Amino acid sequence: MTTNHPTEQDASDAGCSAAQECAAIEADLERLKTIVNDAAGRLLGSFHEFASLEQKISRNLEERQRIESAIGSAVMALQFQDMATQLTHHAQRRLAALESCLRAMHGQTPVAKQLEHPQPVPQVGMSTGSVDLF
Amino acid sequence: MQSILAVDDSASMRQMVAFTLKGAGYNVIEAADGQEALDKARGETVDLVLTDQNMPRMDGITLVQNLRSMAAYAATPILILTTESSAELKAKGKAAGATGWLVKPFDPSKLLDVVRKVIR
Repeated sequence: MTTNHPTEQDASDAGCSAAQECAAIEADLERLKTIVNDAAGRLLGSFHEFASLEQKISRNLEERQRIESAIGSAVMALQFQDMATQLTHHAQRRLAALESCLRAMHGQTPVAKQLEHPQPVPQVGMSTGSVDLF
Repeated sequence: MQSILAVDDSASMRQMVAFTLKGAGYNVIEAADGQEALDKARGETVDLVLTDQNMPRMDGITLVQNLRSMAAYAATPILILTTESSAELKAKGKAAGATGWLVKPFDPSKLLDVVRKVIR
């Protein structure tokens, strides 16, 4: 009975494939950013259109309060583009660093990239953030 | 009318900040990064600066340091509005002279409460 141990060439090929996968994921994330930015631009346009129309129509106090509350929620939710873009950009940088390491293992690049900046977006949802006055 | 300098490299964030502040009667001047904000602050004095932290060319804390070195901005309230929430960065912001640290996303009514509290 023979056992097939991975050879150095197998490991090198696997590293090269993994690096190619990293590059493909980076490209997917770039497309995701484009889609998010396009959607956010359209949502913002609709939001401003609604907000400008809303001010021209007089309503009773209860309706105005409900609309103001809905607009406040929309203002919070529409901040998603900034957070999503930062998070996606950070993931791309991490993938680029990983890709560089894998290519270095494969002998394609001599120096691996280092990711210096920590995670910039720790939020896991769109609930309001903290306030600290010094 | 009191003026607020709103600094963020995200156009959508600037829009949401400006929408909120203008709706409460403030004049809003926008800048896309710290360097542009510094140039605008040299041109005219504002009553409050609300800045992001992570931006190209010049980040928020560096902007605070630069503004605090200017006599016209020695006592102007400066708020940092950012996704970052680490204690280390907050301490750096405080040491640079920031008035407060707000973590995104902001609630419009809470932002206005803070602005009314610190603006002179």
